[in-house]
Amino acid sequence: MMERWSLRLRVFLLFAALAGASWVALAAGLWAGYHRLSDPAVLPAFVQAGVVAGFAILGLTAGIWYLFDENVARAIERLAGGLRARAHAAVGAEIDAGPARYLGDLAPAAAAVTLTLAETRNALAEAVARETTRLQAEKDRLEALLSDVPVGVLLCSAGHQLVFYNGQAADILGGGAAPGLDRRLFDYLREAPVAHAYARLLEAGDAEAASDLLVATVAGARVLAGRMRLLDQGQDRPGYVLTLRDVTADLAAHAERGALLAEVFDRVRRPAANLQTVIGVLAEEAGAGPDLTRDLAPALTGAMLEEVGSLARAITELAARYDDSRGDGWPLAFTRASDLADGIRARVEAAGLEVAADPAPILLRCDGFEIVALVSMLAERVAAARLARGVRLEIAEDGAGAMIRLGWDGAALPLGQLDGWLSEPLEVGMAGVTGTSVLRVHGTECWPEHAAGRSAICLPLREARRAHRRPAPVTRAVVYDFDLLSKARNAGVLEARLEDLTYVVFDTETTGLLPAQGDEIVQIAAVRIVNGRRVEKEVFDTLVNPGRPIPAASTEVHGITGAMVAEAPGMDEVGRRFHKFAEGAVLVAHNAPFDMEFLRRHEAGIGASFDNPILDTVLLSAVVFGQGETHSLDALTHRLGITIPEEARHTAIGDTVATADAFLRLLPMLRAKGMVTFGDVLAEVRKHGRLLKDLNG
Amino acid sequence: MAEAGRRPRVLVVEDEDNIAIALDYLMTREGYAHDRVANGAEALARIRATHPDLVLLDVMLPGVSGYEICQDVRMDPGLADVKILMMTARGSALERRKGLALGADGFIAKPFELKDLRAEVRRLLGEGGGPA
Repeated sequence: MMERWSLRLRVFLLFAALAGASWVALAAGLWAGYHRLSDPAVLPAFVQAGVVAGFAILGLTAGIWYLFDENVARAIERLAGGLRARAHAAVGAEIDAGPARYLGDLAPAAAAVTLTLAETRNALAEAVARETTRLQAEKDRLEALLSDVPVGVLLCSAGHQLVFYNGQAADILGGGAAPGLDRRLFDYLREAPVAHAYARLLEAGDAEAASDLLVATVAGARVLAGRMRLLDQGQDRPGYVLTLRDVTADLAAHAERGALLAEVFDRVRRPAANLQTVIGVLAEEAGAGPDLTRDLAPALTGAMLEEVGSLARAITELAARYDDSRGDGWPLAFTRASDLADGIRARVEAAGLEVAADPAPILLRCDGFEIVALVSMLAERVAAARLARGVRLEIAEDGAGAMIRLGWDGAALPLGQLDGWLSEPLEVGMAGVTGTSVLRVHGTECWPEHAAGRSAICLPLREARRAHRRPAPVTRAVVYDFDLLSKARNAGVLEARLEDLTYVVFDTETTGLLPAQGDEIVQIAAVRIVNGRRVEKEVFDTLVNPGRPIPAASTEVHGITGAMVAEAPGMDEVGRRFHKFAEGAVLVAHNAPFDMEFLRRHEAGIGASFDNPILDTVLLSAVVFGQGETHSLDALTHRLGITIPEEARHTAIGDTVATADAFLRLLPMLRAKGMVTFGDVLAEVRKHGRLLKDLNG
Repeated sequence: MAEAGRRPRVLVVEDEDNIAIALDYLMTREGYAHDRVANGAEALARIRATHPDLVLLDVMLPGVSGYEICQDVRMDPGLADVKILMMTARGSALERRKGLALGADGFIAKPFELKDLRAEVRRLLGEGGGPA
């Protein structure tokens, strides 16, 4: 019991007991002395002495208690308080030794301890900060790398759910719907090859093993070559990395080549064989006598002409087809004519020549580096051959291709000289490259021209296209959430914990408020919430052609005019895409019955029904804040400290993001009220059913 | 230019004997005076010496290529009236353009139908008065 009292109380009680005991001892001593004297006359003197001594004792103990209390008990308490503050909270200031100056070395010792503590703490914090910065930098570098590698990279959990994907993977997979975190891989790729490769790797049990596979997209439009590697052999069923390359074009070109070759043999072999037979007969019969030859000659000659005709036709046709197909599957990129001209000018001017360049706004399919090396070599040779001091470089559109023309005023260039230059090695840092080999790679020719005192070297390129604006750089982001790898899955939605569910929060803008009277959606926006986090890169935001005029009063609200939606797809098409986007997720909307009514009227046209579980943030707000409050989106977001930028208000995506953020803040509040699973929330929401009808059947 | 009444003269520049034999025969049947060179290096000298009305010029020749001969002929103003019909076994569109750019008057890809060759030769010679 005494341990619970404060130190000062105990010290006080100690001194009080000391004073009390001194009084008792004094009174006992005086009483014994008085009895010994047995003289009642001295009683007053004894009493007086006792009282004086009693007061003296009281004064002394009180005085010493005061000093003790001030300099020991209170000092210890202050020191202890200071130590506690420094132990539990990061108080940086040095401990105040003043009050504890009579406690000997205790205060300096405590100061030393706290100082060391503070130093250790600072060092630790610095180390953590340094390490965090390093890790962040490493993470950024890895993200940049993975977003830039020219193959699609996917990470999947053992359940074949997407945990990571880069931009290229999104391009390769995104035939119909863009990929999303925590979606099943088999929404995009055919299951059998992937599952087979996974099973093979599991059986192999070798951490270093990789499995190559060929898999088609579900839409069937693309064939991908992939390599799979398991992530962590320690786990029972590990996730895996899948790298994918689109080989559709390669395969098609390969198949076309093969078919062409087969056809060449087929169409050449028969006439060749027939000719051999006919001519063989003719040669033998020539020795058998003039009569026989005369009889047979017309028939055999007719047969020969027919066969040789079909042979010649076959060769001509097949050669033309081969010629046409040479550009296909060509591993050369499009290069801007102006970039080529800049490169050539830089090299030629470095050699002390003048160049006037006039590139057309086109892109040429070529190996830019080789072409620059070739053309600048030609320009230097032209100058060295004293044909001209300066050259004109012209790159112009020419049929389906382009013509590079290196011109000068002066004497013509003999073809033999040009062929000589072309046969010399070209300085491209690679052995065996000559002008001729560059021309061969590009499937082209090169020749001199001369007219009216002007000469030129012509170099046509087979393929070119008009340059438009440089396309905006594609954001090669990577999207991931590695916590998904270890996420346990519940079978039923009702039993699922709220934070484990995937949500699609959406909002629509419409032509009006009455779907029953023909009002339609003009815009849908949606975002995904996976693992309790809004996935920034997974956004659905599209205009819809409502197939009817948009009243001015509605345009006033959302700013969408008829002209803006004229080119947009209709509700059936957008609805299909939205249905895909929302697949497997709980739909969340503010005042969901309104939006769902519009969507469900189109279920027949979409060819799918929206049977997702549904949550309404109006109802959730009522559950959390009580029915007395206002539950408009503005009021709700205001209560939750979320601001919608004015320009985003009443745009579908602005309202969607605000609703999603509000929903994410409502989730922990629901949990605090004891609602852990989706079923708990649904039961609670149904109590508010009279506020709005519940949509979950 | 062939004068009226004179038989047009054709020079065949072709290194493959088999087709040269056939072309010789064909030219004779058509009523042309003809001659043959099997080597690219000799071709230009022969053209200068005989000044034919038409040269049937193969592209792939030993020594000097047909393109080069064509350019050389066109750069000689004295040979401006010599028509050139180029023949090649690799008849891509770009080679045709190269031949025409270097001054050929016609371009025919092997294999060809005899009637096509005949028509082309007549067209080229016909422009200059041709055989009657």
